Amino acid sequence: MIEQLLLAMPMAIVVIGAFVLMLLSHSRRIKLDRLNIVAVFFLIISFIMQYYTLGNHTGTFLLENVFNESFILDDFATIFDLMFTAGAILTLLINNDYFKSRQYFSGEYFALILFSVFGMMMLSHANELVTVFIALEIASISVYALVGYHKNNKISSEAMMKYMVLGSMTGVFFMLGTALIYGAVGSTSLTQIATYVSSNSIEDMTMLIVGSTFIMITIMFKIGAVPFHSWVVDVYHGAPYPITMFMASTFKIAIFAIALRLFIVNFGSINSFWTEILQVITILTLLGGSWLAIRQTLVKRMLAGSSIVHSGYLLIAISSIGLGSELAAPAIMFYLIAYFLSSVGAFGILSFIASQSTKQMHYEDFKGFASRRPYMAIMMSIFMLSLAGFPSTIGFLGKFYIFTSAIESGQILLAGLGILTAFISVYYYFKLIAMMYFYESDKPQKKFPFDISTILIVVMALLIIWGGIGTSLIPFIPGADGFIEIAKQAISSLK
Amino acid sequence: MMSQILTNIIFLPLLMAVVLGIFRAPIRVLKIGAMFSSIATLVLVGILTYNFDTTIGIQFVQDLPWIKNAGISYYIGVDYLSLIILLLITSLMPPLYIYMFHENRKGYWYNMMLLQTGVTGAVLSLDLILFYLFWETMLLPIFVMIGKYGNGMHQYNSMKIVLMTILGSMSMLFSILYLGYIYFETTGMWSFALTDLDTLVFNAQTSIWLTAGFLLAFAIKIPLVGFHTWMAPAYGSAPTPAVVIMSAIMAKLGIYGIWRFGYGLFETTLSYYAPTIIVLTLIGLLYYAVRAITEDNLRKMFAYSSGSHLSLIALGVFLTNEYAWSGSLYFIATHAIASTGIFLMIGLTYKRFKTVNISSLGGIASKAPKFTFFFAFFALSIAGLPGTGGFVAELLIIIGAFKANLWIGVLTATTMLSAMIYIFWMIQRTLFGQANNDIEYSDLSVREIVMLLPLLILLLATGIFPSFFMKIYETQLYFTLQEFMLAIGGLK
Repeated sequence: MIEQLLLAMPMAIVVIGAFVLMLLSHSRRIKLDRLNIVAVFFLIISFIMQYYTLGNHTGTFLLENVFNESFILDDFATIFDLMFTAGAILTLLINNDYFKSRQYFSGEYFALILFSVFGMMMLSHANELVTVFIALEIASISVYALVGYHKNNKISSEAMMKYMVLGSMTGVFFMLGTALIYGAVGSTSLTQIATYVSSNSIEDMTMLIVGSTFIMITIMFKIGAVPFHSWVVDVYHGAPYPITMFMASTFKIAIFAIALRLFIVNFGSINSFWTEILQVITILTLLGGSWLAIRQTLVKRMLAGSSIVHSGYLLIAISSIGLGSELAAPAIMFYLIAYFLSSVGAFGILSFIASQSTKQMHYEDFKGFASRRPYMAIMMSIFMLSLAGFPSTIGFLGKFYIFTSAIESGQILLAGLGILTAFISVYYYFKLIAMMYFYESDKPQKKFPFDISTILIVVMALLIIWGGIGTSLIPFIPGADGFIEIAKQAISSLK
Repeated sequence: MMSQILTNIIFLPLLMAVVLGIFRAPIRVLKIGAMFSSIATLVLVGILTYNFDTTIGIQFVQDLPWIKNAGISYYIGVDYLSLIILLLITSLMPPLYIYMFHENRKGYWYNMMLLQTGVTGAVLSLDLILFYLFWETMLLPIFVMIGKYGNGMHQYNSMKIVLMTILGSMSMLFSILYLGYIYFETTGMWSFALTDLDTLVFNAQTSIWLTAGFLLAFAIKIPLVGFHTWMAPAYGSAPTPAVVIMSAIMAKLGIYGIWRFGYGLFETTLSYYAPTIIVLTLIGLLYYAVRAITEDNLRKMFAYSSGSHLSLIALGVFLTNEYAWSGSLYFIATHAIASTGIFLMIGLTYKRFKTVNISSLGGIASKAPKFTFFFAFFALSIAGLPGTGGFVAELLIIIGAFKANLWIGVLTATTMLSAMIYIFWMIQRTLFGQANNDIEYSDLSVREIVMLLPLLILLLATGIFPSFFMKIYETQLYFTLQEFMLAIGGLK
């Protein structure tokens, strides 16, 4: 029992931390950076505890006599949890300067982030559809609130409204899907659903398939796949930088956690049913996302558009899973890690710049950035190269695994299209590099500020390079191989 | 030491750049460091060449696991083909650094060092993913150098060259991934090593598509006619060191790629593509020559001239007989040296007269004799002046062309003539004619002569003692050719 409680601790600590922060935020004496430290403290404890549970779970379910089979414990969930907490820690620390520069930030910001992380952790552990829904809503509602955090800003409020209305509506789809599945199976437990799916033939499961297609719509909405993408660019644009960073890097990963679990474990035997639908969505997502990203003049909106394209790459691998590719599931995990590192870094630099000025960052505003801030420009280039999938960065290996898995499953045209969109993405990412380097600046060079946020950005950049070229020759340090090993470990714990 | 030597050659400049960058070296130290790295690699390549065995194929192999899960390894080695280009790269770097002596923008020097690592790595890697890595990486310094230090519409042109080249390399990436997958399917293991993939047998249709992926990348890099729209603008906008690297090394890497990966992996399919490419190169020969005749900007003119000669080299490669092959490989080397010389001269022209337009130049000969001598020498060696290496190489290719087909031979021989036309006409208009007395004509300084003299000597040496240089590759080249002939069931 005590051991079980210990296993529940990582999640519990985060939610306790969230309540503590809510209480603390009422005090006017405690300054924001103190609250930040408290929030990071709770997250770090949770991170460390999860790190030690990795690979040695004593039970299959969390507190089985209390929650029944609602929460599953496996390495898959733990690795995702690690990514969520890491993402939140990075969001909080990198944006340390940003929220000090904006008046509208107050204590709830930290509590909301922690609640959202709690929701995501619950999501990755959830083994029951209603729990999934609750977790999804906990995470989403916190994010809705965060998106509209700048209350007096019209764009921010508009973004929040757009996201909330559309998000709630797709939440309804999820509930409807759950109801239909319950009607078919007689239970909402994922374990029961999996047994039902494997013991029936596909012709007898019409209701379940309709239900799970509804669930898929929710997932597609959350990852921003075309035709459910209309919110992405506006919401990413409207939200304050820290929130955009949190959404793009961390929240998106959370959705893939549940999508992978449902797709691989529960609908494992029938997931080829969705192949055609997924392929069409993938093609639309890749092309539509590229089109959106090309047309933007704001860097933030470009990154939003390109995040749709990245969802498209991940969808390629998801349909490869349905076609029986062994590589695809680890490829998704790896790609998520790669995308996480690169987008955290890119948004980190954007928010660092934003903390120094109130300008909207157009491409033109980056003219001469390299001569003003040479080191920042180098790191931004690294992040852009990694997002574009340029070799010698981790982003290339991510794409490498995705495309080989697509070829392995016979989706050669889709792999070709993926490579084509990767080529298109070179245009809009290199445009930023070009802006930074090709124009001289009349302002003098600034010193590189050494503080926690910039140091973390440097660490991200180094990790990206190391993840791309790190050899397996140096003992004890996982190289480029290490990340995929982690991904494989996670996937193998699922089955 | 000898097993590590290739790694040292590849990474020495990069390491130097990183170290200098971390310590934020002042420009003086940076220059010395760059020069040192180029000379040190030259010495290492000298040692390598001394120990090189001309009777065996790939040697000095280093094969280390890199990403075991996907079978990607750090697999490098050198054979006659890569040795030639390696020699070129390392011997061209010191003159370039001498040329850049007064350059005080730090980014310039860092980019050159990165560039050296990129091109060297691409030449030496025998693992396809590793090759792809270097192939893409060498583009970055070029991108920055054209975009940041170029002239004219340099930002636009830099984006253009990068996008077009990456389009090619993406198609190559697709082929590489598919090759790896086929290997996985047949053996159950992942591998991207050239020696492993060589053992594969594909069906004809697959092979044709895969080859197309590779060929597109190489055709854009060379560039064959039809894929060349990036060339003249990029050459026109790029700063001189970047132009030299592009024309002398990077374009040759396209040929190298065809040789190494085309003939290494898809012998039979290449002969399927050969007629198309031969036609393209023949069109290229004439088209580029005509463009060169009408071009007023010297950089662009020699860009077209370079395109014309690279078409000739590509033609030689696809003719697959011993004369043509030997000539092509020899031309890779001599054309690289000659074009380095001429592009450096154009750079010097720009430094002096702030223009590279033929119409605004003239009368240099009466004021600056040494300058005129070197300029004329390099220009004529581009045109294939007897006594320089280019002549020997072109002659061999033309003999090879006649051996393959009378009409191809005739057409090829005309290029030598057309080259004469634009070179002589250019010399007449730039070097002779009425001198503009408003401009100060300064002759070559000692530093500039030191920079140009080795190139001149090399060109003469390759022209006068070709057999000495050909010994490096002859045996192995003919061996490869025979293997190829056996593979396609050809003549011998």
